[in-house]
Amino acid sequence: MRRLYSSLVDGRGFDLCLIGVPLAFLIVLSGLPLVYNVVMSFQAVDMFSLGSFIRPWVGFQNYRELVAQPEFWPIMGHTATFLAASIAGQFLLGFALALFFWLDFPGASWLRGLFLVSWVMPGLVVGAVWNWLLSGDFGVFNFVLRELHVISGNVFWRSDPTFALWSVIIANIWLGTSFNMILLSVGLSSIPADLYEAAELDGAGALTRFWTITLPMMRSTIGALISLGLIFTLQQFDLFAAITSGGPNNASNVAQYWAWDLSFKQYDFAKGAAISVIMIAVVMLASVYYVRSTRHEVRG
Amino acid sequence: MSETFRNRLLLLVALALAAVYLFPLYWMYITALKTGSEMFRTPPSFWPDEPQWAIFPFVFQLKGMAQFLWNSVVIASGSVALIACLGTGAAYVLARYRNVWVDVGLFLVLMLQVLPASLMITPIFVLFTLTGLLDFPRTAVVLAIAAKSMPFFIVLVRATFMSVPMELEEAALVDGNSRAGAFWSIVLPLARNGILVSAILIFMQAFGEFVYSKSLIQEIELQPSSVGLNAFMGPNTNEWNRIMAFASIYVTPILATFVLLQRRIVSGLTSGALK
Repeated sequence: MRRLYSSLVDGRGFDLCLIGVPLAFLIVLSGLPLVYNVVMSFQAVDMFSLGSFIRPWVGFQNYRELVAQPEFWPIMGHTATFLAASIAGQFLLGFALALFFWLDFPGASWLRGLFLVSWVMPGLVVGAVWNWLLSGDFGVFNFVLRELHVISGNVFWRSDPTFALWSVIIANIWLGTSFNMILLSVGLSSIPADLYEAAELDGAGALTRFWTITLPMMRSTIGALISLGLIFTLQQFDLFAAITSGGPNNASNVAQYWAWDLSFKQYDFAKGAAISVIMIAVVMLASVYYVRSTRHEVRG
Repeated sequence: MSETFRNRLLLLVALALAAVYLFPLYWMYITALKTGSEMFRTPPSFWPDEPQWAIFPFVFQLKGMAQFLWNSVVIASGSVALIACLGTGAAYVLARYRNVWVDVGLFLVLMLQVLPASLMITPIFVLFTLTGLLDFPRTAVVLAIAAKSMPFFIVLVRATFMSVPMELEEAALVDGNSRAGAFWSIVLPLARNGILVSAILIFMQAFGEFVYSKSLIQEIELQPSSVGLNAFMGPNTNEWNRIMAFASIYVTPILATFVLLQRRIVSGLTSGALK
């Protein structure tokens, strides 16, 4: 007993205890649901069997039914569009802003940090604000576009099937641009300045310097950021709930919203689990890449 | 072009960019202050004719926001307390050693960080139903948030512990401290700022959490503000000034905290996310 106590206070036991308790907590509350999700996706689950562990095993039937649903492929397509457009928009705008704030001037770092409010705000609030900004008849977004002569009539962002997905994408780009910018700024500031001085002496123009120094030096940051963007974009749920609820008629529905909708609106937990398993596999692949691209930095 | 002129010009451009970027926030506050008819005017007014300050106490009363905000605070505080108690130790161990097991642990932590809440909620809901945890909905949400956000906290705080010189801890051990004593009286105080900033970040996230609360809490009087705001926004609502007032009351504490602690939060975030 004494030895156990002294090990806990002053030996191996101290470390094992510090790491063991949180690890056990995570395994029970994250790992277990993860495994249970896979199990459930192979079972027949209805409202009556929800409360019992033992349910009929149906093999891949949930998956087959899921793929056979007419909305499956459109929703997968929307997910791909949402991912690609959000990540591209966030990254390009973020990179442009980061390059601008890299021109060091008084107040630059403070102002740059201020942009991050879009990222710390609750997603529901961002969604509510953009819902109002993108309103068809009275939205200020339409007003600005009309004044700039981009559009002639009002665009009904949330209710027009062509634009519903884009209304969420616009809001998501706004939300994530600042985060991209901050991380890209960190990457930019770690490029040694003498590289640019040497290139300038050799007569390289601004564009050449960007292509031959900035981009290659930023490769690992960009790789990490793109996979991080993939991870964050696949987590985006609040904006869908606040702006379109996946509608009209699934025109703006994406996999992560559909999974929740199947489980909690249609009470089809088995299909909800099946689509979750598919998407979690995608996220896992992205995160393996993310971990690998930050690997040398992880070791500090 | 002189140096000061260049700086002034760049600052001006930067201010303009910030104004464009933060316009949605401005619009939220301005809309809240408009009357029902001014809100729908075309062209829109960019400054309210008669600011309706009374709307804030009115919406606060009407929607019972005191209860919503209190629930948000309870859920966020519970999550942060749980995460900080468990996560700090894990971060310390993962920062102090370098071997295969630490790499495996770190890999696991990073993998758990990326699981989307809206995909994990299905199994969590069913498991919580099976174990009876759903009878304590706010506790259930706290546990779910803790499992979701702890990996992020561990990654951030680990970066802080990496910057605490190990020599200080070794000196304390030589002076006769136990491992636990050295951790408690030397390492923790030195890492206090980093832990605090990470805890604030986690608090902000948990304060705005939506998926778990929406799915696990049925009783209105136990729901946090995010769910309240969602319920307020019906599909064909025209009460936008009231919704924006609700949103303003909800985010202003977060925005104020962020602006005050901006420098620390940004540096804490950047040290963790890529390192």
